[in-house]
Amino acid sequence: MDKNKRKILIVEDEFVNREILKNILKDDYEIFEAGDGETALELLNSKKNSLSLILLDLFLPKLSGLEILNTIQSNTELNNIPVIVLTSDKELEVQCLQYGASDFISKPYPDSSIIKARINRVVELFEDRQTIKSTERDALTRLYTKEYFYKYVADEDKLNPNINMDAIAVGIRSFHAIKERFGSSFSDSLLIRFSKRIKKLMPNIFGMVCHLEADTFIIYSRHVDDYESLLKELSIDIFVDKEKKTPIKVQMGIYQNVDKNIDIDVRFDRAKTALNKIRDSVVKNYFIFDDKLKEKELFEEELIESFQTAIDEKQFVAFYQPKFNIQGDTPKLVSAEALVRWKHPQKGLISPGIFIPLFEEKGLIQQLDLYVWKEAASQMRKWQEKYHKHVPVSVNVSRIDLFDPTLVETLLDIVKENGLESKDLLLEITESACTSDVNAIIEKTSALREAGFKIEMDDFGTGYSSLSMINKLPLDALKIDMIFIRNAFSSESDNKMIKIIIDIASYLKVPTIAEGVENKEQVAVLKELGCEIIQGYYFSKPVPNEEFVPFLIAE
Amino acid sequence: MLTIENLRKYGANVDEGLQRCVNNEQLYLTLVNRFLDQNAFPDLKTAILDRDLEKAFHISHSLKGVIGNLSLSPLYDIIYQMTELLRNRTEMDYSDYIQRYEMSYSLLAALR
Repeated sequence: MDKNKRKILIVEDEFVNREILKNILKDDYEIFEAGDGETALELLNSKKNSLSLILLDLFLPKLSGLEILNTIQSNTELNNIPVIVLTSDKELEVQCLQYGASDFISKPYPDSSIIKARINRVVELFEDRQTIKSTERDALTRLYTKEYFYKYVADEDKLNPNINMDAIAVGIRSFHAIKERFGSSFSDSLLIRFSKRIKKLMPNIFGMVCHLEADTFIIYSRHVDDYESLLKELSIDIFVDKEKKTPIKVQMGIYQNVDKNIDIDVRFDRAKTALNKIRDSVVKNYFIFDDKLKEKELFEEELIESFQTAIDEKQFVAFYQPKFNIQGDTPKLVSAEALVRWKHPQKGLISPGIFIPLFEEKGLIQQLDLYVWKEAASQMRKWQEKYHKHVPVSVNVSRIDLFDPTLVETLLDIVKENGLESKDLLLEITESACTSDVNAIIEKTSALREAGFKIEMDDFGTGYSSLSMINKLPLDALKIDMIFIRNAFSSESDNKMIKIIIDIASYLKVPTIAEGVENKEQVAVLKELGCEIIQGYYFSKPVPNEEFVPFLIAE
Repeated sequence: MLTIENLRKYGANVDEGLQRCVNNEQLYLTLVNRFLDQNAFPDLKTAILDRDLEKAFHISHSLKGVIGNLSLSPLYDIIYQMTELLRNRTEMDYSDYIQRYEMSYSLLAALR
């Protein structure tokens, strides 16, 4: 026997069938034969490290083929050997796929060249997989990486063009909070446990899965009828705390019965859009991409297409919201925040809540930020020239801007061009921008401050930055997110969080700025608690320049 | 003696059967002989007479696989129908099928 031949085990009780297969394969492979299930298991145990393939008949005396398949799949030493099932039963084919078979050969056997080609294909595919395994798998979860996953999705479509498929995005509710609370080694182990679970369920729905990022997974599967029970199976007996008291809450966004003419990444974008719709919702655990979301998708596409024109035609307009210092006897205007609005020629005024997350996602936010910085700087110059008023303006700096090596230079150029000083431009960085790559963020922020810019931390209390990080980050103010103001003055009247934030600010020796302040009572309480600066409807909503001028003049 | 020509006259789809044997005529004839030697049909008949349709289905199903692979068309048509009836455990009189099978089988065996 040629030692270099790959080895195949044929499990088939009929001598005639066995001989036919042997005759087809004998030139290319070394053949082992088993006429019944028990012999098959014995051979499997003795040859497990050398077999390239198992050909398995389902109807066997004693042990049935399905039982053998099950044994193979549940044994980690055997389940990496591909199995091709020999059967004449259509219904059983489905069941075999679920049990992990790689392919079928029907009876009566097809043309011998077809048999040979299918067997060679599975053997090669399996060997390919062995060699590319390290690159096609995500290091943490051992699931497919996106690149390979998309390739397999395309393969699946080619193989089964007429089967209805679902694109599903899966997330774990409050994953960031879990990570924050129990640390990243715990959250990693949670991801691994969860990955194993998803992987295990894939055969049931003829699906495959990819670990996209953090707690987001994407699945391509045959259409699922009952998403509730899929969710249940995904979650059962997985806990998100060490005491095993809190069960995991899994959420899914589904683009069902995908249109296969649509790009693969668009299909999964749709699933993600549906997931984002309910992300971290307490009540809903899945959402199906529908016409409404499709409209939204189209709308967003239009916005993205018209972005460049909007920049060129100056459709983006900066509105200004005053910030007042309330610690004295009368409130004193100290600065303003520049907030962007989009005056779309056809769609009217578009809220930044709609286009900012979109531009962040599509990589357009840097361009918009730059636009607003320039607008705000040139407006400050006009105020100085026309009204001789010197009011600093704060602008948003997105996370992505912080990774731009030319950021400091760009900002310095803008203030110089407008005859301003660095301290006139206040830079708002949201807390959530500071949750990863902490050292790089600290470094960049320090460089900005050395160049004379003032840094305000936006949305403080809503992100997951750690206190030790805040301590290292050079700051000039903490902005209290409006959600805390709202909660503090709701029926519970719980202002503990505000107190804590003000305490942190005083420890850091920086003032606090409260956002979303709506009435006199709130102002009084915040003043009492030691909050220095207030921004909100109580003084003014964000207004266009013409309406802001009266605040300037009143100073 | 069993020959390719005889089998063709009998009605077997010899070309197809040979194709499965990678055109090895000797192997094909050996396997048909082997099938005739093994003759599992009496067991099927007994199972049907005993009303053990479960067992009958299993035998019939296996037999169908072998006959199909050998492309013995006259037998395949009969065993295929029997297998489908037995798959649903159809309670009926199978004697017509049995007779037809046995007759066709005798014709084939007579070629030896």
